[in-house]
Amino acid sequence: MLLSAIVFLPIFFALLILAWPSSKSLRHLALGLALVEFVVSLIVLTKFDSTTPALQLVEQREWIPRFGITYFLGIDGISLWLVLLTTFLTPLVLLGAWNSIENKVKGFLISMFVLETAMLGTFLAMDSILFYLFWELSLVPMYFLVGIWGGARRIYATIKFFIYTMAGSVLMLLAMIYMMLLTQEATGKMSASLLDFYQLNIPFIGGQFFSLQTLLFFAFAIAFAIKVPMFPFHTWLPDAHVEAPTPGSVILAGVMLKMGTYGMLRWVIPLFPEASEHFAWLFMLLAVIGIIYGALVAMVQPDVKKLVAYSSVSHMGYVVLGLFSLNQMGFTGAMYQMLNHGISTGALFFLVGMIYERTHSREISKYGGLASAMPLFTIAFFIITLSSIAVPLTNGFVGEFLILIGSFTADPVFGTVAISGVLLGAVYMLWMFKKVFFGSAGELVSDTKHPLQDLNMREIAVLAPLIVLVFWMGIYPKTFLNPMRSSMEYLVANRGNYLLSIQSDAVLGKSKEVAALVSVPMSNEGEQK
Amino acid sequence: MTLEFGLSDVLKASPMIALFLFSLIPITLKVLRGNKEPNNTASLIQGLIGLLLAAILLVLVSSLVPPPADQTVFARALVLDGLTLSVGLLCILGAGAALVLMHDHPATSGDQFAELVFLALNATLGMLILTSALDLLVLFIGLETMSLSLYLMIGMSHEQKLAKESAFKYFVLGSFASGIFLYGLSFLFGTVGSTSLSEIIMKTPELIGASRLFLMGLVLVVIGFCFKVSIVPFHAWTPDVYQGAPTPHTSLMATAVKAVSFAAFLRVLATKGLIGSPNLFEIMQWLAVLTMIVGNVAALIQTNMKRMLAYSSVAHSGYLLVGLIASGSADDMSFGASTVVFYLMGYSLMTMGAFAVIGLLEKTENTQVSVDNFAGFAKKHPVMGFCLTLFLLSLAGIPPTVGFFGKFYLFSAAVSQGLLWLALWGVLNSVLSVYYYLRPIVSMYMMEGADSDDGAIQSLSKMWGSRLVIGTLAFLTVFLGIFSGTLYDFVERLLGVS
Repeated sequence: MLLSAIVFLPIFFALLILAWPSSKSLRHLALGLALVEFVVSLIVLTKFDSTTPALQLVEQREWIPRFGITYFLGIDGISLWLVLLTTFLTPLVLLGAWNSIENKVKGFLISMFVLETAMLGTFLAMDSILFYLFWELSLVPMYFLVGIWGGARRIYATIKFFIYTMAGSVLMLLAMIYMMLLTQEATGKMSASLLDFYQLNIPFIGGQFFSLQTLLFFAFAIAFAIKVPMFPFHTWLPDAHVEAPTPGSVILAGVMLKMGTYGMLRWVIPLFPEASEHFAWLFMLLAVIGIIYGALVAMVQPDVKKLVAYSSVSHMGYVVLGLFSLNQMGFTGAMYQMLNHGISTGALFFLVGMIYERTHSREISKYGGLASAMPLFTIAFFIITLSSIAVPLTNGFVGEFLILIGSFTADPVFGTVAISGVLLGAVYMLWMFKKVFFGSAGELVSDTKHPLQDLNMREIAVLAPLIVLVFWMGIYPKTFLNPMRSSMEYLVANRGNYLLSIQSDAVLGKSKEVAALVSVPMSNEGEQK
Repeated sequence: MTLEFGLSDVLKASPMIALFLFSLIPITLKVLRGNKEPNNTASLIQGLIGLLLAAILLVLVSSLVPPPADQTVFARALVLDGLTLSVGLLCILGAGAALVLMHDHPATSGDQFAELVFLALNATLGMLILTSALDLLVLFIGLETMSLSLYLMIGMSHEQKLAKESAFKYFVLGSFASGIFLYGLSFLFGTVGSTSLSEIIMKTPELIGASRLFLMGLVLVVIGFCFKVSIVPFHAWTPDVYQGAPTPHTSLMATAVKAVSFAAFLRVLATKGLIGSPNLFEIMQWLAVLTMIVGNVAALIQTNMKRMLAYSSVAHSGYLLVGLIASGSADDMSFGASTVVFYLMGYSLMTMGAFAVIGLLEKTENTQVSVDNFAGFAKKHPVMGFCLTLFLLSLAGIPPTVGFFGKFYLFSAAVSQGLLWLALWGVLNSVLSVYYYLRPIVSMYMMEGADSDDGAIQSLSKMWGSRLVIGTLAFLTVFLGIFSGTLYDFVERLLGVS
């Protein structure tokens, strides 16, 4: 019940908010509820067994038996931290948006909670249709967040976001339907469960594009690549980010982009091992292009928010690079980088939002000398900048280091090029930092009529947990690496024939045979290949 | 053909008889009161009781004749099988909802409402005949009963120009389609020697390859149906008629009428004529693709809400045709057929709802609602705005609404028949459709509306019937989405036994 509670509590909260009579206490209520959700999700951490790669806290019920669709939730080392990241960022976002969202507060809070449910559901669903349901559901509240509370070109941005993402995912839906039919052919019973998908043996013919595994691989991979977003599919991101209100940007960068890379790790790589190996070069190439391209474009942005948005493209490129290195360093680094990016880019968007609230401008050229006007803000910004450019002792370093080792092992050329991306990252971030915070005071900073206030307590409360995490993850990564280690090791060891078992004490009636099958991971199917 | 029939036949036809008798009540009362219009609400209630009774009788009679028993009525003219029951109930419910909307709508309430109830109930009667017909001539009678009532209903609108034009267009093109249908029927009769569907089904395998006349008859019958369910290129009447007709009538045409036409189409396609003739099979597939594309692309550029939804309805005909083809090509037809019936149910829910909300905005009989009229709607009427959002998202196929599951089942059926490319066109088209379904939502939530129409709020508070219908439909859109498995199983069981 725990996972169901985590997924559906926010929906329940949204209803509560809807029915809440007083508009004054709405924000307090929402913040409290979001914290409750976070505490509930922490229970998972205490119950989580990090020694096993198996799926834990499993809940499986029949939902649409005719198509073998089940209500199937489970958590393992791959999804654990993403769930916690989601529940951790949501209260911060609500606190951060305390003043910036002024009208339609109720609608905003409801959208946030529905979005939280959708994101958590995406990370926890182990049934393809359930996964798809949450995946698509997440578009709707985001669409409203950008469209109602966004900037001037919000409608263009939000429709582009919606259609772009949906265009990718409908092909995935078709691929899911096809795989459901494959399970029916293989076992005689249709199933939409991811675990049953893992057991499929999908023929792969190298060098032939119109072969089954390749087509399915691309149907899934493109859907996720659009969400990440990877290089040629990234154009929706700067629009959405720039037009989105601060909370929308934070959630979009912090969590929603991870849905794409999570999908690659959970679905694409284990389901289509041969195809992912065969096309790893393509994805690594696009990832490296994304890293360099994102960094170069970020360098010329006059707008801070756009700069951060393009830096996202670059940072997410590292994640994909790590994933398609297909080794343990790469996977672990990619997972770690997902969390890093959620924290440091989330924090950057918060910071940009805070300064925007004060000046209503994001033009880099209008700032300058901010360091003397807002010292606390400067310190916070500096720490996050260091984390973003992966300075040792910050979280960014650990993730990028692991990814670079992983990609070097897989392909030294891509590794070498990616390293230059680290340099470029430092260039644009530090250049922006210098322009905004040092030098002579810009027109907005020197404006004596509107003196700039330094961070207030609320804003410090938003940033403090993020800064603590930056150092915690940078200095003592073990806390975060341990729970995911056995999942990563298992994935690397059994990549060619990945099967996920359900932790035995949680096995429910129907899935017993699955568990039995999986307990011998090297079954005959593997040898036949 | 003998003309003998017993009491059991009359019993089995009792839903239709009840409908007809009840349709007479309001209009008789009107005559008895010296041609003075009776209370509209009373007429509405009489009509609703008639529909309810018909629904109850339909369920009762169907449960009295389980499959081994003889389900046919009047010497194999009609049949009371699962398809009749499921689609029949759907069209009765649709007619009920549409009646409530007619009662509230300025173009249809007021005088002549008693006649409207009479016509609506007779249209429903025609629909019941249409879904249950096992003989092509009887099917034609059902079709005409339904269509003639509708022509009159549209023509009776208080709106002066567009509705008249719409009624006339519908009449001319509808008659044209009927003519083509009858012409095809004469060829079928000439080659098979009977108009009974079961005989035609039996003779199809031997005739389809051998007799060109038979094939031609079949093609003409199919074209007649394509007119009725607005398959491109036979769709041209749809946008004009849907836009011009009073909104409650449009909602009836877009849902119940379309559902029964598709049900009858399904029955005829079960002749496996498609499989026998690869060319026809291929043409049908292309028609489906064309219908989806033309419907969606044309809807993209519409500004009038009803016209947009009319094109969207054309696009949905394309999706449904995919299911129809899948069911026609399968050995076990019930899988594809039940996906079609399920989709019809979902589609009717959300389309009825969307038109109902549009109806709320029409303050006079002459109002034309455009997408921009929805600006600020969500602020003024949060609940109605939310309901419309649900309907539109469901039409776009966003989970967890019934629209998503409808598409999912439909495309599953297509993929399982190896029609992957049709499913591919289907999903790509649903992406295309997202754009125009989102536009009213953009207007409602993201634009500020003019504050001038306070009158709309006033009138809205009286339309409790419409609002109740909309609320129920919105609830069902989500509820039947999440619990779609149960409904789908039910439909498949119903269709499987026949």
